[in-house]
Amino acid sequence: MKNLRWILPALLLAFATPGCVLVSGQFLIDFDLSNFDASTDTAVTREDVDLTTKSDYNDHKNDLKGLSDVAVLGKITNNGATDIGVEVWMTAAPTTYTTPTQVTTNATRLWGPFNLAASATKQVGWDESAKLFSSTGKALLINEIKGDGQFTIYAIANAGTYSFNVDNGVLALVIDFGK
Amino acid sequence: MKRAFVFALLALAMGAGAAQAAGPGVGIGPYGGYNIALIQQDTGNGALFGIRAPINLIPLITVEPYYASSNLGDVNGTFGGLSYTRTGFDMKAFGATAILGSIGGGGLKFYPYAGIGSYKMTRTGSSDIKETGYNFGLGIGIPAGGKISVQTRGGLDMIVTGDTSRKFANVTVGINYNLMSGK
Repeated sequence: MKNLRWILPALLLAFATPGCVLVSGQFLIDFDLSNFDASTDTAVTREDVDLTTKSDYNDHKNDLKGLSDVAVLGKITNNGATDIGVEVWMTAAPTTYTTPTQVTTNATRLWGPFNLAASATKQVGWDESAKLFSSTGKALLINEIKGDGQFTIYAIANAGTYSFNVDNGVLALVIDFGK
Repeated sequence: MKRAFVFALLALAMGAGAAQAAGPGVGIGPYGGYNIALIQQDTGNGALFGIRAPINLIPLITVEPYYASSNLGDVNGTFGGLSYTRTGFDMKAFGATAILGSIGGGGLKFYPYAGIGSYKMTRTGSSDIKETGYNFGLGIGIPAGGKISVQTRGGLDMIVTGDTSRKFANVTVGINYNLMSGK
């Protein structure tokens, strides 16, 4: 019986660890990005993301602990004659930058480059996309998810001139929650 | 709930202890089963395989080192009208489980168990998860010859990842071969 003195408290300790990790999980939120064209002939394309419009986010907002997985999805077409690397940049606060230089100077690179040959169309794979997130961008995204859930993202390419369009774009987030 | 669980463990332990034959015993056995990802929308379920070696040194407790490997299934989803697949995790774990009572010897055995281990989960595009995990559940030992028994278990693995966790319910069936009965 002496052994039970140690085993039972150890079991209790495991089940009652801080934050009650038993009541936790990972849920997926997908935020649709409208179809858009991006070109150096026009102002940079941006999307104001407001996660508070998603019921899953609002339901678990007070229990958010982190970001488990993230992906930018969609079908991208390079309309130009040169190869490009598509990138997504992010600002924590709402912004309205109009040129790629303003974006790369003031925003944080979130994702990319997603390399695309001239005139090519490619659907971004979930696995492939998950690998393209920068650590600094991911950290900023986590802060915003745990904060007000509102931020601005920009789509540009790492070429002097570019023209591409994105169809069926989605920002997919797998969020850690715990009571 | 927790109190009821503790009392249940205590009752099972006392019953197992009373039925326990004296002397140390050592066994070894492979097992296989199925892992079910709980409240995880980014990985699927998958097969589970492993090996464990129960060591019964004192009447009331069996300590069981184990190694386990699980290939979790992919997750398929449709976003923006397009289909996508996210590769599931590969999970490997090693650790030790404490069993109240013994799993070998004659007669049908019911036993609770709880353990601790080192878990590693990997997949493309995700940072590796290397964390401590806990497991607990209930097992049934069914004699199948002088030195062999069939072990069926149902339990829960919980890998603690900061303030949250990844949890898996699992059911396994294995063979235990008594290398040393201790009687």
